[in-house]
Amino acid sequence: MTEAMDSARRAPRLELVDGGVERRGRWLLRDVDLAIEPAMLTSVVGPNGAGKSTLLRLLSGTWRLTEGKALLGGFDLAALPRRQAARRVAYVPQTVRPTFEFTVREFVTLGRYPHESRLFGTRSADRGWIDRCLDDTDVLALAERRVTTLSGGELQRVLMARCLATEAEVLLLDEPTSNLDLAHGLDLLGLARNLVDEGRSVVLVLHDLNAAARFADRVAVLDGGALIAEGPPAEVLNPDLLRRVFRVEAVPLEGSAAPVFDFEPLR
Amino acid sequence: MRLAFGGYRGGFWWYMAAGLALLLAFAGIGLFRGSVPLDGRDVLAVLARHLLPGQHGPADPRVDAIVWSLRAPRVVVAAMVGGCLALAGAQMQGLFRNPLASPGIVGTSTGAAAGAVFALTFGLAGSFLLAAPLFAVAGALLSLLIVTRIATRDGYTPVTTLLLAGVALNALLAAFNSWLIARSWEQYEAARRIAYWMMGGVTDRGWVHVGMVLPGMVIGCAMAVWFARDLDLLLEGEEVAASLGVDIERAKRAVLWSAAILTGSAVAVSGVVGFVGLVVPHLVRLLLGPGHRRLLPAAFLTGAWFVVGADLLARTLAAPEEVFLGVVTAFVGAPFFLFLLVRHESEVAVSR
Repeated sequence: MTEAMDSARRAPRLELVDGGVERRGRWLLRDVDLAIEPAMLTSVVGPNGAGKSTLLRLLSGTWRLTEGKALLGGFDLAALPRRQAARRVAYVPQTVRPTFEFTVREFVTLGRYPHESRLFGTRSADRGWIDRCLDDTDVLALAERRVTTLSGGELQRVLMARCLATEAEVLLLDEPTSNLDLAHGLDLLGLARNLVDEGRSVVLVLHDLNAAARFADRVAVLDGGALIAEGPPAEVLNPDLLRRVFRVEAVPLEGSAAPVFDFEPLR
Repeated sequence: MRLAFGGYRGGFWWYMAAGLALLLAFAGIGLFRGSVPLDGRDVLAVLARHLLPGQHGPADPRVDAIVWSLRAPRVVVAAMVGGCLALAGAQMQGLFRNPLASPGIVGTSTGAAAGAVFALTFGLAGSFLLAAPLFAVAGALLSLLIVTRIATRDGYTPVTTLLLAGVALNALLAAFNSWLIARSWEQYEAARRIAYWMMGGVTDRGWVHVGMVLPGMVIGCAMAVWFARDLDLLLEGEEVAASLGVDIERAKRAVLWSAAILTGSAVAVSGVVGFVGLVVPHLVRLLLGPGHRRLLPAAFLTGAWFVVGADLLARTLAAPEEVFLGVVTAFVGAPFFLFLLVRHESEVAVSR
C-alpha cells in the first residue's frame, strides 16, 4: 500500500458548521460544530440512537442538512458534484447483506466509479490497484467468490477494500469492526492508523471505548443528537462523562498510556 | 451456473456470439419458411436484390412481396420488440433491486395499452394507421410522468413509493382498459381488434412498424448504455451509490425514462407481449452476473432471438392458424421461470 499511497495528497479539512438534520419532525442531530482535521483519526462514540451514523452521513454529503453546512476544504459539500465529492470522501455504512451476485472483485471495483469513464469503464491499470486494496484487507483469496456467500466479517473487510479502492482522502467508517474477529479487528484499526500516518483522515464509529482511546487522535462524543465533547481521548474520556453519557461505572486501569477502563453497571 | 469458461469476460463474448448465431438462424427460418412454400433460391434472390448493392435483377413480384414485405419486417419487428422489452426489464429489475420486476412495473406498459385501446375504441386507428402506436407511446410516457409526480417529494423519488404508485396506476389503467373494451363490445370489429392487440403479436407488421420502433429503440438503448454502470451501484442501495459518486436522482430518472421509451415503443407495435421482460433478464443475470455493462446488451440480444423464435412457434404450432405471440411467450416463459425458481431458489429470493 505504502508505495501507491505516497502520491496521496494531504487530506482536506472536513467540517460541519452548525449542522442539524430533521427527519419526520424529529431532530436527529442539531447544532453540531465539528472539524475533522487533516491526517487525524477521529472516533465517534455514543450510546445507541445518539446520531453517530447520521453524523457520518452528513459528513459524507449523502444526506442533505436541514440546518448549517458541511464544508470540504472550505467548499460547500452539497454544491460539489457527487462524483468529485466521492473522489475525496468515502463512506462505508453499517454492513448490509448484498443480494446481487457480484464477485468480490466486481464488488470492490464499484469503488472505482468516481474515476471511471462512462463508456469504457475501469482501465486495466486499475486492476493492480484493486488487487492491492484486496490484499490490504486480507480478502485477495476471496476475489472470485460471490459476495452473497461471504461471512459477516469477510463482507466487512470487502467493504473496507471497496472504500480503499476509491482513493479518497477522508474515510468515514460506520462500525467497521462490528463483525470482525479480534485479529482482523486489530488489523483494521492498524490499517486505519497507517492511512492516517500517510496523510489521510479517518473517522470511525466505534462501540469499544478502549479501542477508541487507544487508536484515535480525537474522540467525539454524541448523545441525544448533540455533540457533548470533542478532543484528545485522554481529555475527553473520563469516568464522569462516561457515567453521564453511557450510564456505566468506569474504573480506570493503571499502566496504560491511553485512558483504558474497566466497565461496570451503574451502582 | 455462471458461465465460467474463459473467465467471465470471455464468457460474455461467447454468449453474445452464440446469441447472434441463434438470432440469425431464427431470422433465416422466419424468412425461408412460412404458410406459402417458396423455393429457397427465389428467397435468396429477393434478399440479395434488397440487401446487396448493385443487384437489381428481376425478381418474382409474388415472392418479393411475401419475403420482403411480409416476412422480413415481421422478423425485424419481432427482434426489436424482444430486445426493447428485455432491456427495459433488466433496467427495472436493477432499479428496483428486485429480480421479479417487469418492464411495465411502473405502469408504462398498461399505460401504453390504454393509449392504444383508446385509439382503437374511438375509431382513431381506423382513420389513420399511426394512431394506435402513437397513443401507446404517449400512454407509456404519460403514465411514467404521473407516477413520478406522485412519488416525488422535495426532489427525491424513493423507489418504494414509485413501486406502490406504479401498482396503483397499473390497477387503475387495467380497469380503464376493461371499461373501454366492454364499451366497444357491440362493435364487433373494434372489440376484435382490441382483443387481438391485447394478446400481443407481430402478425402483418410492415416496414412502417419497424420505422415506428426504431427511434425509441435507439434513444432508449443509448440512455440505457450511458447509465448502465449507475445501475450497478444502485443495486447496493441509494446511500452507497451516492457515497460512491452517483447522482442518484438523475440516474433514476434517466433509467425510468429510458425503460418507458423502450416499453412504449415495443408495446405500440406488438401489443402486450408478456414474460419476455421478466424471464430474459433474469436468465441472463444467472449466466453473466449482475453487472449491467454486460447484462444490458446481452439481455437485448437474448430478448431479440427469444421473440423471433417465439414468433416462429406462433406461426407454425397450429398452422395455418396463428397462435398469439403473447400466448407463446407466456407458455414458454412461465414454466421456464418456474424451473429457474425451483432450481435456484436462493438466487431468485426477493431482495430486501
